[in-house]
Amino acid sequence: MESIELLAPAGDLEKLKIAYFYGADAVYCSGKKFGLRANANNFSLIELKEAVLIAHNLNKKLYVTVNIIFHNEELNDLEEYLLYLDSINVDAIIASDILVIRKCQELNLNLEVHVSTQASILNGESGLYYKKYGVTRLVLAREASLEDIKDIKEKTNLELECFIHGAMCTSFSGRCVLSNYCTNRDANRGGCAQICRWIFQIPNINQIFSMTPKDLNLIEYIRAMMNSGVNSFKIEGRMRGIYYIATVILAYRRIIDKINSNSLTEKESKYYLAVLNRCANRDSIPQFINKLPSANEQYFLGRNEVSNQDFLGIVLSYDAYNKIVVLEERNYFKIGDMVQFFGPNHETYSYLIEEIMNENNEKIEVANHPRMIIKLKVNFKLEKYDMMRLKVFDKQNFL
Amino acid sequence: MLAKEKNNSKKFLITVTNNHIKELKVNNVNFLFPIKELSVGFLNTYSLSEIDVDNSFIYINRILDKEAIKKLENVLKNLSQNIKGICFTDFGIINLVKKLKIDLELIYMQNHNTTNYRSINYYLEDVDSVLISTDITLEEIKVILDNASKPLVIPFFMLVNVMYSRRKLLTNFSEKFNLEKKNKVLLNEPISNNNFLAIENDYGTVLYNQKFIDYRNIIHENVLYYYINPIDLSLSLIEKIIKEEDIDDLSGDGFLHCKTYYQLKEEK
Repeated sequence: MESIELLAPAGDLEKLKIAYFYGADAVYCSGKKFGLRANANNFSLIELKEAVLIAHNLNKKLYVTVNIIFHNEELNDLEEYLLYLDSINVDAIIASDILVIRKCQELNLNLEVHVSTQASILNGESGLYYKKYGVTRLVLAREASLEDIKDIKEKTNLELECFIHGAMCTSFSGRCVLSNYCTNRDANRGGCAQICRWIFQIPNINQIFSMTPKDLNLIEYIRAMMNSGVNSFKIEGRMRGIYYIATVILAYRRIIDKINSNSLTEKESKYYLAVLNRCANRDSIPQFINKLPSANEQYFLGRNEVSNQDFLGIVLSYDAYNKIVVLEERNYFKIGDMVQFFGPNHETYSYLIEEIMNENNEKIEVANHPRMIIKLKVNFKLEKYDMMRLKVFDKQNFL
Repeated sequence: MLAKEKNNSKKFLITVTNNHIKELKVNNVNFLFPIKELSVGFLNTYSLSEIDVDNSFIYINRILDKEAIKKLENVLKNLSQNIKGICFTDFGIINLVKKLKIDLELIYMQNHNTTNYRSINYYLEDVDSVLISTDITLEEIKVILDNASKPLVIPFFMLVNVMYSRRKLLTNFSEKFNLEKKNKVLLNEPISNNNFLAIENDYGTVLYNQKFIDYRNIIHENVLYYYINPIDLSLSLIEKIIKEEDIDDLSGDGFLHCKTYYQLKEEK
């Protein structure tokens, strides 16, 4: 089996640090230009340089998306941008426009080029077309089945990257301009308004119509995908928050490590599936990997999104001598709540809140101001970036 | 550029969506046949044996998975002399055609990523022509035509595909609500009041913007074919289009004079 990479999204530097801390081997992000999340914070040129330094200090990788479809007006700045990304030692760019791919080859850059899922690669012959132009990795279409993956690997022998978790487009990626027509925002330059999640009408029968897909979740197929030749497991969500990133990355980190050590049990898989489902705002299911999605893989009455307030706080520091954890609050909690601390370097701890102190060491009953500083007496060791969440279920109940 | 000329100097490429071939069969028309099991977005598709017109093109617009590649290989090995070329969207076809040493005109027809002349010129190193995007302005089209290294195909009068899903969206919908299954449904998006025509077959669902784009005023010396996709049009209307006669209220000019934006700060 080839080496396996867990690849996380990051919309800003904080999310990037969280992703690496929770076990990502590599992170993908976008600069202010040429990425398909045009309205996310994204990274300035200086932040990209800092991101590379953070990654390489941790012996991890950083990929930058340059995955818009270019119009004439964007052509002039591209070469300078690619040269900059190469000069700061970005490990790879993710591109879909042939212009970007060919330009990297012509400039003889050190960075690698990965073909974006926007290119919708589903067969080995298509992979070979891109291989001719020097790409080292294919990010396959989310519509790829296990059989397609195996075939592409056999034919191309390129690195393969597959999305395993997160939002889906209804369309093949890159083949939808509904947003252009309904909002005048160019979907293929990062302006997608997610029209496929809107409600349509069928005029002549006065019936609403929806084509909204549920999210993707391939946790049950990780082993099979490894055996089929997938090298990199990719999480969607550059617009997602740190709690989502931490939870999802940690779950897949544990799963991949346990598969590698041949110690993953079915019960543990179910536990991690429950954890993933709890932190998502939509249902998530396998989609295309083993069959064509049916009505069950869609929503029919709009977005059907639910959110919870499980994320209670993030650890800023831990005083091991006095056994005091300092947290930044993210959602309301109070004395008497049963919570959990989780992080990448320890098992999940359950904890009953019996006393809360504010930053002035005054006792309070509730933590009810977003981002207020809170102190709790905790007997187990915690570290910066560990998180506290509401205890909803216990791993022991799954084992 | 951009002045009308007599249409008898133009070469048309027309997708075959009904049975008007005999009537339209004139010297300056080439037919494009959507191929069974390898195309999406059409109610009528054709096997090779049903194509009996000289200088025809076959249309392979599916994104091809492993099984589809096998089917395609079989089609390519059985092409007859009357097939002049292939219009396609999946780059796997380029590789396969070379591997099988088939000498055909290759036209790349993915109208959402041919939006600048440099990308198009890279594509043209591997293919004979490219359909210019339907998502760009008249000025952008002009720059592309002026700078393309080979003659291009430009939209002339067509329904524009705006979304292609592998999902069987109409089947799923009818199953969910216990409705009679249809392969073709008109959808309205009420906020923008856009209408879209959804057409489904076993290989996916394509949404077309219901309004035809009419680029009949665009002419340029660097055009190989003027492309017509006449889904749902009668023979008389197709004839009017070729003759560049006015058509009542069926068409618009798409994004020719309407630049899209993508960062919210650009929104006015």
